[in-house]
Amino acid sequence: MLKVSGLSVSYGFICAVKEVAIDLYEGEFVTLIGANGAGKSTLLETILGVHRADRGKIFFLGQDITNRPTDRIVAQGLALCPEGRGILPFMTVLENLELGAFHRREYIREGLENVFELFPILQRRKRQAAGILSGGEQQMLSIARALMAAPKMLMLDEPSLGLAPLMVTEVFKVIRKLAERGHTILLAEQNAKKALQYASRGYVFETGRIALEGTAQDLLRDGEVIRLYLGGTAKD
Amino acid sequence: MEALIAQLVNGLAIGSLYALLVTGFNLLLLVSAVVPYAYTHIVVIGMYTAWFVLQLTGGSLVWAVPSAVVVTTVVSMLTEPLFRPLAKKGAINQTFVMSIGIAMILTHVMARHLHHGIPVAFPENVSGRMAAFQFGVIAVSRGQIFVFFGTVVAVAAFMFLLYHTMIGKSFRAIAQSPFVAKLIGIPTVKMGIMSYGIAGVLGGVSAVFVAMALGTAYPALGDALGLKVIATVLFAGLGNLNGGLACGLILGIAESLTTGYLPGMWSNALAFGMIMVTVMFRPQGLFGTRI
Repeated sequence: MLKVSGLSVSYGFICAVKEVAIDLYEGEFVTLIGANGAGKSTLLETILGVHRADRGKIFFLGQDITNRPTDRIVAQGLALCPEGRGILPFMTVLENLELGAFHRREYIREGLENVFELFPILQRRKRQAAGILSGGEQQMLSIARALMAAPKMLMLDEPSLGLAPLMVTEVFKVIRKLAERGHTILLAEQNAKKALQYASRGYVFETGRIALEGTAQDLLRDGEVIRLYLGGTAKD
Repeated sequence: MEALIAQLVNGLAIGSLYALLVTGFNLLLLVSAVVPYAYTHIVVIGMYTAWFVLQLTGGSLVWAVPSAVVVTTVVSMLTEPLFRPLAKKGAINQTFVMSIGIAMILTHVMARHLHHGIPVAFPENVSGRMAAFQFGVIAVSRGQIFVFFGTVVAVAAFMFLLYHTMIGKSFRAIAQSPFVAKLIGIPTVKMGIMSYGIAGVLGGVSAVFVAMALGTAYPALGDALGLKVIATVLFAGLGNLNGGLACGLILGIAESLTTGYLPGMWSNALAFGMIMVTVMFRPQGLFGTRI
């Protein structure tokens, strides 16, 4: 479904993503783990056409989408739930959701039913300004808005950031539910342990490069991953 | 007392006109991230268009009004490519320089090439100077009534667009966060171009109402209105749409009352003095900046 090869992105002289290659197949739930500043967000935003790729190619559903305008890429079926949630605080919950379906206006009614079933709290608060929702609710809204685009593939950037531990588990459960329903998911996460527990495959990002890749189970057992990202030794 | 009422009615008519001009200005500021100083100059071009069409058709408003709207819309959209490179880089202050340049060119064109720079006067059926009601010294002209209700309808239509259509919601999303708007797939460049179009339509409608209220158009009118609009926008708070509506009315009424009770030259001094003092103590404007 998504194929990235030899992708390099830089800001001025700083090379944020170097020679990255990743693959995603339909229905897969894949995670990108790595420390803050490793280049995960840059990679996701470049796939979405926000930053210019210096080198490399991005194919989505067999089409070359490298450096295409973001709105065209979203219209093709790729949605991002951005880092920091990116909700529009002065607009209502409902308006935030409707805007998610900018390219799928005929889908708004069905999409709303779908996301309200997944997140009943959003239905109760649909007329309220999105800015007054709690952090967890805003994260749900952000995921729901991405789903309103009826995406063929969903990218999530640090959905657990700044949330209380209980809420983090809630968010991961929702993501697993989406994966079980057949959504193709690419999740960037600092919380490596949680991400690998839920995803089927993972890439480990280190200063803009992919240091390791493998199935989630293999990575969870890998000594180096444990030492660097899971905060312990293999015995734990 | 009667004179006061007459001045208030006049103030409401002029104020609603300012409110409409401020709305078009704020739309461009919010959605396209430009300081559109030349917006009022485009409105004056629309007034000239209406005047020429009235001359050609023997005073037909049916032709004059749509022509003004079409011309302001086209001219407004033609300026978009000039601003785009600056707006893309977020160089909003530099867009001000660009719009001053455009304003100077438009003023020059009007001074040299439109009716030889001689002020044009609109016929009676446009300016509506005839009194609709007369109570003692109070005369409320048809023009005043039409300008007030016309602008109310125009602003209401614009607000409907802003709050109940996908285009309007996209405009508001871009105004809140251009980056988020882009991430969720809103075509921000296309929406920017559309905001010039809609500001142009509002400008054309404004042109008709300014023609009614003033009864005349002249090359320097773009600057005169432009300064007032930009001062009102700062008075209300940059990009604050509702604040802009309120402050347009406040300015109109303040001007009208000063004209009624003090020598003519005081009207501008007092109105701008009020704005200067406000901005001195509240740099974010009366209602707060929204960009």
